[in-house]
Amino acid sequence: MEDYFSYTAKLFNPSETTQKPEVLKGLRVLDFSHVIFGPTATRIMANYGAEVIKLELPFHGDLWRPATYWGKYWKHSNPLWHFVTQNKYFVGLDLKHPGAKDIIYRLAQMCDVVAENFAPGTAEAWGVGYTQISKINPKVIYLSCSTYGQYGPLRFYPGWDLLAQAASGVLSLTGYPDTEKFYKLPDYLGDFIPGNFGALAILMALYFRNKTGKGQYIDLAQSEALMRLLFHFTAFKQSGMDIGRTANTDPTMVPASIFKTRDGKFIALACATEKQFEALCGAMGKEDLLKNAAYTDPFERLKPGNAKALNGFVTEWVKGQDLEPMIGLAKERGFPAAEVLDDYQLYQDPWRRKRGSVILFNDEMYGEIILAGPSAQLSKTPSRTKWIARPVGYHNRLVLKKFLGLSEEEIAGLEKKKVIGTFDDRPGLKPPVYYNLAEDPIFNYGREGKK
Amino acid sequence: MSGKGEKEQVYARYVASGKTQEHLASWGKTLAEVMNPEGKPEVLDEVLVLDVSQENFSGIIAASFFAEFGAEVIKVEPPQGDPMRQVTPYGANVKGVGIPFLVEGRNKRYMTLDLKNSEQDRKDFAWLAGKAAVVIETFAPGDMDSWGIGYRQLSQQNPGLIYIAISPYGHYTEKAKEFARQPDADITCQAGSGLPAQVGDPANAPEPYNWPLKAGMWAGWYISGLSAALGGTVALVHRQKTGEGQMVDIATMDAYANMVGFPPTIGYTWEKARPRIGVLDFILYPYGLWKCKDGYVVIAAPRDHDFRALLKILGLWHLEDDWRHTPDRIPDVVDQAMILYKAIEEKTLQYSADQLVKMALTYSAKSARSKWRGGGVPIVMKMMTPPMTLESKQFAIRKVFQEVEDENAGKFVINTNFVKMSESPPRIKWVSSTVGKDNEYVRKKYLQDR
Repeated sequence: MEDYFSYTAKLFNPSETTQKPEVLKGLRVLDFSHVIFGPTATRIMANYGAEVIKLELPFHGDLWRPATYWGKYWKHSNPLWHFVTQNKYFVGLDLKHPGAKDIIYRLAQMCDVVAENFAPGTAEAWGVGYTQISKINPKVIYLSCSTYGQYGPLRFYPGWDLLAQAASGVLSLTGYPDTEKFYKLPDYLGDFIPGNFGALAILMALYFRNKTGKGQYIDLAQSEALMRLLFHFTAFKQSGMDIGRTANTDPTMVPASIFKTRDGKFIALACATEKQFEALCGAMGKEDLLKNAAYTDPFERLKPGNAKALNGFVTEWVKGQDLEPMIGLAKERGFPAAEVLDDYQLYQDPWRRKRGSVILFNDEMYGEIILAGPSAQLSKTPSRTKWIARPVGYHNRLVLKKFLGLSEEEIAGLEKKKVIGTFDDRPGLKPPVYYNLAEDPIFNYGREGKK
Repeated sequence: MSGKGEKEQVYARYVASGKTQEHLASWGKTLAEVMNPEGKPEVLDEVLVLDVSQENFSGIIAASFFAEFGAEVIKVEPPQGDPMRQVTPYGANVKGVGIPFLVEGRNKRYMTLDLKNSEQDRKDFAWLAGKAAVVIETFAPGDMDSWGIGYRQLSQQNPGLIYIAISPYGHYTEKAKEFARQPDADITCQAGSGLPAQVGDPANAPEPYNWPLKAGMWAGWYISGLSAALGGTVALVHRQKTGEGQMVDIATMDAYANMVGFPPTIGYTWEKARPRIGVLDFILYPYGLWKCKDGYVVIAAPRDHDFRALLKILGLWHLEDDWRHTPDRIPDVVDQAMILYKAIEEKTLQYSADQLVKMALTYSAKSARSKWRGGGVPIVMKMMTPPMTLESKQFAIRKVFQEVEDENAGKFVINTNFVKMSESPPRIKWVSSTVGKDNEYVRKKYLQDR
């Protein structure tokens, strides 16, 4: 029989991704959402083949367009924005213009999914909420994203990722006990995780619609999505245990912490099972611990005093070891261990490149960029990147012509009346300065040739 | 919907008009009724999921999501039970079952099969897999294949099978092969996917506060589990259309980095790693946590008009000149940024959390209704701990917590209703945790024709 790993290598070969079928081909999504939470849900749809039409205000664009780490732009764009919005059609449409409503309703009519993450009530107030859209498109799947949800006393409170972390209890869990500091989780985790929940809910609604023909309304609160990831509520109600901050230790396993090695690196080590604990004790040359009554029973071992002592032994042991040999020991003996990796190491990691979880993508407008891949790899219908972010209004003409069947004259008229529009000179909104839009076939009504 | 006679505060400009408010009041009422999950159809009611995951909570979590959306989920364990039953904070357990296992024991059947050692049990499993839509496994990559029950064999007899594999480095590439026998833990997938490197105090702080710091929640395992459920659901939609199954591969070392996506792109464009910057944020400022008289508040006022409003509320207008524009506030010089942090803290310490929240919201409500643009919406909220969240009226109305009863552990409270859906919402029907409890049920229903 063929070696398993040569079989799987063929099954998942990243270089064949673009030739494989797309699950959501033909599915259309009208995307009112902005910043990260809503756009992540629709981005995942786009990664699996849906046509996502992202609406933005002309000359303003999405609030997140200029928001890059420490103000660092890349080719006059926000490098992080390229991950947040992939494969989307960028339409700059002035919602306040009387001529815009007609276009929005016509787009909504031909879309399967509509998504928004305005403050609750805003979409309804603007006439693009579920009550209005479901009248013209009864089979629509409508996703509303918010921090606290569409009903309940907090519903109108504005929010961001930080507020969801604070409301869910997540924010109170990271840090050192008995200090005055709490650390929020980085990279807007409070938007990205709920955004993935949004994609899950849309897919479930789609599965249901394929079976029954029925659309539905989805009310997703980012604080509630985060709360789904905590066992702390049950721990408190059941055992009166307010776990709080636990520094670098994981109170559910022992030993489990981040340790500093002799060569000044950081390693995470943990033992989730009896077998792994035996393996670690063997590696440390401390088999005597296995006979110690305090450490033989898993529940006994987890008690704060015992856990502290065990983590102490490991701290001392790691101090005398270099990182690499320890990773080798963990691999051979079978206990969990991993180096603490940073941004640069993740980008450089050859395993991630080969796996397709860090992708060197060559974009028509921006050239080469490194992007994170999907967090799940599918053998037959994989997630893919076709293009990255585009300037505000880049697809105006293409979308109106191809999807709505407007003539080029009609589109020029809408441009003149400022119903649709593009970008101003701010970085994040505009194309790279060296890029000539006049020669771009997609920008020019999807005409081929010219270039 | 707020307290008796209390008028609901509105903070979005477009929502404030009387007519809209009326529409929204009826919209809110409709929603609250629509969102009750009981009696509604379930999305996956014809889907059979076999969860043979062991020693890895990501598999258990992924299976839960399918179970909540209505699939029949059978957790297949070795006769002595999954060791994940003993993974629990400080050893807290009810009759030998740990808290996380209780929490994830939603709508599941429990069956025992000794796949590692028994040829007979493997045959039973293969028979079950012939009827299943989804298999979830977390064994060392290649183990199931060597037992004759991997994707390669099962997909021969059941081409519609979706086979979800979860492991630290995945099921393909050289490294996956080399590290195949390496087990998984939450803290290692956090570390290996870039989370702790960004949390903690700057390099000049004393040890260990300047070390990388793990997330207090199970960020690694829960993200991996969610990714597996999401990937599996994409595969289910494909299967629904074409009848075709496939393999879904999750590397838990990808979990965090690929869900948030930023780390590798920053490594590439900046050609170095971000340092740790304590309680500050890399993009937005003010955006974080401040101490107040009676606890902690979070403040988010990053846009210029939000920031101006915050200064007015706190009586800090004299600082406006130095910190006026977003680029002035980018915390790339941490010591300098901390000057503003301290100035805000001096003020927040003079008020209680409730006072600060009220000050910000009163301002925002007024600014939202004003004709003049640019009033700003500075947001201040109390930091909640899980016990405080349990008491929240908002989440009580939205039924986020549910009391359940386990045949073994008795009554307890769990988190549920994580998304509200008008037609086919997820829900908890029962919880259970007894090893092998449904052996007979499963044999009768699925193995009688064997």
